[in-house]
Amino acid sequence: MTGDRVAVDTAAVWPDDADEEGGYVANWFVREGATVEAGDVLCEIQVEKVSIDVTAPVDGELVEVTLPDDAEFRRGDPLGYLRPTAGSGR
Amino acid sequence: MAEATEPEQTPRELTMSRAMVEAIATEMRDDEEVFVMGEDVADYGGIFDSTEGLLEEFGHDRVMDVPISETSFVGAGVGAAQAGMRPIVELMFADFFGVCMDQIYNQMAKNTYMSGGAVNVPMVLMTAVGGGYNDAAQHSQTLYGTFAHLPGMKMVVPSTARDAKGLMHAAVRDDDPVVYMFHKRLMGIGWMPAPDGPKRAVPEEPYTVPFGEADVKREGSDVTVVTLGLHVHRALDAAASLVDDGIDAEVIDLRTLVPLDAETVLESVRKTGHLVVVDEDYRSFGVTGEIVASVAESDLDALEAVERVALPDVPIPYARPLEDEVLPDADDIEAAVETVVE
Amino acid sequence: MPHSTELEEMYGDMVTARHYEERLQEEYLEGKQPKFDISAGPIPGELHLAAGHEPAAVGVCQHLDDDDTVTAPHRPHHVAIAKGVDLKRMTAEIFGREAGLSGGKGGHMHLFDPDVNFACSGIIAEGCPPAVGAAMAADKRNTDAVAVSYLGEGALEQGGFLESLNLASVRDLPVVFVVEDNDWAISMPKERVTDVADGSRRADGFDMPGERVDHNDPVAVYEAAERAVGRARAGNGPSLIEVQVHRRMGHFMGDAQGYRPDEEIERLDRLDPIPRTEERLRAEGITDDRIETLRELATDRVEEAIEWAKEQPKPAPGAAHDDVFVDSPAGPAAAETGGDD
Repeated sequence: MTGDRVAVDTAAVWPDDADEEGGYVANWFVREGATVEAGDVLCEIQVEKVSIDVTAPVDGELVEVTLPDDAEFRRGDPLGYLRPTAGSGR
Repeated sequence: MAEATEPEQTPRELTMSRAMVEAIATEMRDDEEVFVMGEDVADYGGIFDSTEGLLEEFGHDRVMDVPISETSFVGAGVGAAQAGMRPIVELMFADFFGVCMDQIYNQMAKNTYMSGGAVNVPMVLMTAVGGGYNDAAQHSQTLYGTFAHLPGMKMVVPSTARDAKGLMHAAVRDDDPVVYMFHKRLMGIGWMPAPDGPKRAVPEEPYTVPFGEADVKREGSDVTVVTLGLHVHRALDAAASLVDDGIDAEVIDLRTLVPLDAETVLESVRKTGHLVVVDEDYRSFGVTGEIVASVAESDLDALEAVERVALPDVPIPYARPLEDEVLPDADDIEAAVETVVE
Repeated sequence: MPHSTELEEMYGDMVTARHYEERLQEEYLEGKQPKFDISAGPIPGELHLAAGHEPAAVGVCQHLDDDDTVTAPHRPHHVAIAKGVDLKRMTAEIFGREAGLSGGKGGHMHLFDPDVNFACSGIIAEGCPPAVGAAMAADKRNTDAVAVSYLGEGALEQGGFLESLNLASVRDLPVVFVVEDNDWAISMPKERVTDVADGSRRADGFDMPGERVDHNDPVAVYEAAERAVGRARAGNGPSLIEVQVHRRMGHFMGDAQGYRPDEEIERLDRLDPIPRTEERLRAEGITDDRIETLRELATDRVEEAIEWAKEQPKPAPGAAHDDVFVDSPAGPAAAETGGDD
């Protein structure tokens, strides 16, 4: 069910001054199935040579990595999905 | 502090650079005497990310950008260490040792001995090594042999994030000077992609990897491959491929050159009879020769065959086909293994 | 003041250098987008481009002949162009080709063209001592050749520079030290690494003339260099010139410049020395048509060099073992090393 999953969004962390509309995944730091807290660093992406840490938007379980290490993506593509922990306020 | 056991289920993996930074940050929180200085270590976070994020927590007083004056700031590290502080000094590329070698080998390495043990130099000299990205002769060297040859400096070379963190904790706490050489290609920098392997599950709590303990990264019965740094991963690739030829290779990661764990190497050679030593440094007068000699000296009869895989004695060329020709890769290791096992 | 032919030559080299760096940037980024992997693409490794540094190159080199020596640092292309380094072979070197100046062994930080006595080194300030040595050779042989050592303002804190000033000074050697002050040593602004804002004052400590050119203007550089090179040629010893230049790009092409304020980069656009030099050309009566022609000549020259370089074959892998010595040691040990990979 996609309904209760929260996307890890690339557009939300896009640098304001970037001209490029594409980037790539440098490193994931957690694997599918891991439980994370909101604010934990999930992965590092790179846009125009700038490295950006992407953090978990909610407490929950990383249920899917859609863009693995080295994957290229367009702005707005989801990196993966979290299933929020019940009662995490989302 | 006891060494942590490898956790089965750590949700978090780190790149090597982040693991190093985590150890440095912990040591800085625990001990006001620890500080970092080097070129571009503050606002830039280290050209190879070795100090990324430290400025934000500790400020410019404890994470110091310094002028391009290596003799002065490496030497200042020596002086501050002798005054009882625990500086972590970054020399941006090991290749730059040339402009400050006196401070490294005539001061940092010798002051303890020359003073009859009356002074000590608890500093970490952290520096980037390695080629493989066409940076040519002045920015690609892996000078393990040059530094390990000179008495008075401990010397560590991590190959994984987990070892990198434990070795950094141990290096900062050590009462002697420690040269901490990290291979650029292992750091997990966005613009210099790492091979699979160095990024590992890393325990959150502090732990040390003791000096002088090599790590058997892969057990095997037919041949002993001894290496360090990036070439641990090249050797593991070779070992995986050699399985198809029915060859079972043991891969030993030295992790520290000074002190050197000759015992683990010897035990393995006694088991396999075949030795291949691999590194990215120049072939002559270096690590490969030293390992072979130490085995031969201790138990010549255990050695049936031996090969060295290293850079031929040429400066590192720029163009891709030329650099590929001289840098050892997994295929070169495989070929050497096949030669000794035959 | 340079006469109008000289002004045209200087402008021609400036636009050649600028177009060169912009084209190299394009070539360099090929195969590196969106994933920036420094070892990928037709030009791998680090690339340090000098857009915004042109006046320092052309204003000094206008006074030099092939017999004069120039040493440059890791950011060398504009100086090489102004010194008359073979552009095609330099480009082939940067592309790692067999026809390159060093057969692909050196790369962009290590360009050597003995025909025009040009060399560079990627180690900060380490081109200074060899320049002193070239001057020493000229002095001993009683030629009127001079040596010029280029370095960045970040290099002024390095021992090799300060020791070279002293040696050149005490021996009255014909050297000109040219400091390109682009305000940044990678991420470190000048004020964080020195209290001496005017680098030309370093000369005072060695009892040598020092002069700062405060604006990025080729004519002002030309005039300062005329004095300094003239002194050297006349046997009156070394000088130091510092030129304010602009680093319009990152330190190297992998540098995202997160430490650098955007406003500064915008300000540098307004201070671009190329349009300002065009104004000067017009003031000297050089027509817009002529300026356009000079630009086209520069563009064509660069395009031709890049096209030629890319057509050249890559070096044979075995060539990596040659050139360690000009006179290779014979014997079994050498044969074994040479044949090993």
